[in-house]
Amino acid sequence: MGGLSLGRLAFLALVVAIFAFVIAPLLTIVWVSFFSEKILAFPPTGYTISWYARASEIADFANGFLMSVKVGLCATVASLAIGVPAALAIERFPFPGRETIRQVLLSPMYVPAIVAGAAVYIYFIELEILTTFQLAATFSGLVIAHTLVALPWTLRLVCASLVSANTVSEEAARSLGANALQTFLYVTLPIIRPGMIAAAMFSFIASFSDLEKSLFLVGPGKTTLPIAILNYLEWSLDPTIAAVATVQILIIGTALIVSDRFVKLGKVF
Amino acid sequence: MREGRNWGGSALVLPALVLVAAFLLAPLALILRYSFDKYDPVKLMLGVFSPGNYMLAVADPFYQNVLSTTAYIATLSTVIVMLLAFPVAYYISRVESQRLRGWLIILTMLPLLLGNAVRSAAWMIVMGTKGVANSVMLGVGLIEEPIKILYTPTAVVIALVSVLLPFAIITLQSVMDSIPTSLEEAGQSLGHSPLRTVFGVVLPLAMPGVVAAAAISFALAMNAYATPVLIGGPTIKMMGPAVYDQIAKANNWPFGSTLACILMLATLLLTVLSTRFLSRKYF
Amino acid sequence: MAGVTLSNIRKTYGALAAVDDVSIEIRDGELLALLGPSGCGKTTTLRMIAGFVAPTSGTVKFGERDVTRVPVHKRNVGMVFQGYALFPHLTVAKNVEFGLRVRGWDKAKIAARVTEMLRWVQMEALAERSPRALSGGQQQRVALARAMANHPEVLLLDEPFSALDAKLRTQMRTEIRELQRQAGITSVFVTHDQEEAMAIADRIGVMNQGRLEQLGSAEDLYKRPVSRFVAGFIGKCNFIEGRVTGPGRFEAANGSVLQFTGAHAGGPAALCFRPEHAVLTQSGAAGNSIAVTVKSVTYLGPVTEYDLVSDAGDKLVVSASSSGDAAVPRAGDKLALGWRLEDAFVVD
Repeated sequence: MGGLSLGRLAFLALVVAIFAFVIAPLLTIVWVSFFSEKILAFPPTGYTISWYARASEIADFANGFLMSVKVGLCATVASLAIGVPAALAIERFPFPGRETIRQVLLSPMYVPAIVAGAAVYIYFIELEILTTFQLAATFSGLVIAHTLVALPWTLRLVCASLVSANTVSEEAARSLGANALQTFLYVTLPIIRPGMIAAAMFSFIASFSDLEKSLFLVGPGKTTLPIAILNYLEWSLDPTIAAVATVQILIIGTALIVSDRFVKLGKVF
Repeated sequence: MREGRNWGGSALVLPALVLVAAFLLAPLALILRYSFDKYDPVKLMLGVFSPGNYMLAVADPFYQNVLSTTAYIATLSTVIVMLLAFPVAYYISRVESQRLRGWLIILTMLPLLLGNAVRSAAWMIVMGTKGVANSVMLGVGLIEEPIKILYTPTAVVIALVSVLLPFAIITLQSVMDSIPTSLEEAGQSLGHSPLRTVFGVVLPLAMPGVVAAAAISFALAMNAYATPVLIGGPTIKMMGPAVYDQIAKANNWPFGSTLACILMLATLLLTVLSTRFLSRKYF
Repeated sequence: MAGVTLSNIRKTYGALAAVDDVSIEIRDGELLALLGPSGCGKTTTLRMIAGFVAPTSGTVKFGERDVTRVPVHKRNVGMVFQGYALFPHLTVAKNVEFGLRVRGWDKAKIAARVTEMLRWVQMEALAERSPRALSGGQQQRVALARAMANHPEVLLLDEPFSALDAKLRTQMRTEIRELQRQAGITSVFVTHDQEEAMAIADRIGVMNQGRLEQLGSAEDLYKRPVSRFVAGFIGKCNFIEGRVTGPGRFEAANGSVLQFTGAHAGGPAALCFRPEHAVLTQSGAAGNSIAVTVKSVTYLGPVTEYDLVSDAGDKLVVSASSSGDAAVPRAGDKLALGWRLEDAFVVD
């Protein structure tokens, strides 16, 4: 405190260096997406924006992108539809064992994604053998898996805003004659709206960027964008993939900046 | 709303509970069962119950190696992550400008939420033989010919650290936020230098956050898939890819399930042990 | 031990001056209170003495030592924080020991000092407790023992009683004052509570909008405030608006001429007196009384307060002893309000 001492300068330098370490690769990939040569060389011989056009022509990327958006939207809606009532039950209707239930509902975040992905895949196939109802390699199967990915985020953010919104205004509404549903619609819902918007954003991001859970569940022509990127990367590394990555960075960055306006991001964990 | 038991209200939790039970807990129970089954090339599974797969996985030098490599890389990454995350988290939680603070958090979370595919692609470009790192080092004369970074354990650790760092930073800074600055001021007024105050006051009070951040980092590192596949290449074997290979490629569900269960168990065990150890040391 | 000298210290945040050209000489062993409303700069001043805030300009000296650029941990100050800031992860004894750990003392000497300090504040019995298990008053004592363990040159107290309930607050301030006197340590204490400041400080510095308005004993401030702010902040005060038109001559807004003692430059000003220094009578003398109308009467037990309005429109208050069977003025009565010449003063 008080002036810039040598120790403080060293501390600042360290922090800047660590941020650079985290951010530099992302900046690099954005930079590379404008290189004119297909074979990567530094520094580049020239710049072009044609890789973005080319990326959109590659069916895997275009379809993967659409698929990821569709799955993401469905998973977001589903996780809000079941997550908001669950959050409400946990925070507003105390019942025995609710802490355990909370942990169970958050567990999709903690069970290793690759293990959960493998388990769900085997389970889907077994289910299909039993009922002839196919889930693996289908859109619905992906949406189910991604709803699980999104649910913990929804639960956390909505619970957090329910906790910070005290119950006095709800009690006031009840004392003024509102029933439970009216109280929820006209008092609780407006109060937790910022939390819900952030929950939607994070649910979408979590689904959109998921790789491990989808790995087992995608099928021919039903690939998500991260998997399309992964498959492409196993064979080649060029400005096309950088362009695709840049688009994803833009989408997620925007979603993040938007959510930041609704909740304190530092509190989401 | 608070008075009495409102079972109608509590029932709102059911849809979510059913989903998690049906599509996470039940599948996990299923693979636990399969991990004791036996693989058959024709019938796929024999429906028996034996610990054979576990014996095989533990006895086989190949899988011993995979597990120990995984544990080693995960431990190393976690230690480095904690060393780096602490100062950054401390800076973020103590920075005066709320605007700067907001941007720093967005900057931290962006790579976190980008997903492993894009992040790995970025590191491949940086660490490749003709990548940025090599070009820069060649350019400034630090090295004479490109060195191999990609497809080495070092590369995997570097990439994993960048994956885990945001998790650790966000977890730690939210704990540090709850430590009043007046405690640090008290430390300094009692003659402790700012650095010493961090170790004497902030670190002990942030210990629950440190433990939580280390546990989540370790679990994620143990289970990483994209990073070892893309950055590590075929020679560096970790558990995540091994599980995928057995189940999706070799169709050996029993053994794949066994590996998955071992992975989960090892993660759980090491997390619990390290948490206990850290807790005993500091509380 | 040494005094503390603040010379023309100033702290600006952008265009805003939190502390503006403050100079105070705090005498060796003195307890000085910095008093003012929130945002007046008193806490910033204290934090500049402690070293948490670097002054934009000016110097801070402990005795002859210029500490303006010395970091907190090398200043040798003892500080009692608002809310105490006891370390929740350490026991009471470890809290007191904390500052001694950097002294390079041997274990026995440290232990002896900790025991001595805890005995001093009568907290030996609770040495192994966690601070969380203590009452507010006990936490306060530990905070004081911790701050004093290092033999600081200066003791700084930041709103030390704000977390206590009213009764305990009165008790603790007497206790702290006694301990401070025993130790004979130069102390600065920040408060927004004028009664608290008057009760325990040797001298009080009244601050407003970053400036030191007046520095003096409680009696000085009450009897001879130099500004309208000090007059209004320390105790209750009546203001009759008008202007000084000559030596000792004050003209109220409605043209009536009043007298005052002492010198004051001509121009717009206010003539002031305390509510308890004025009396309501049927008719008053020229020069030190004005005509008023009683607006309301409030019975407060030992005293009765009368809200008045003068013919010139000034709102005034007078308090009188409730005893006596003389006819009590009632709302609507038109009376004269008079005061002794020496009880009135003029401020800008």
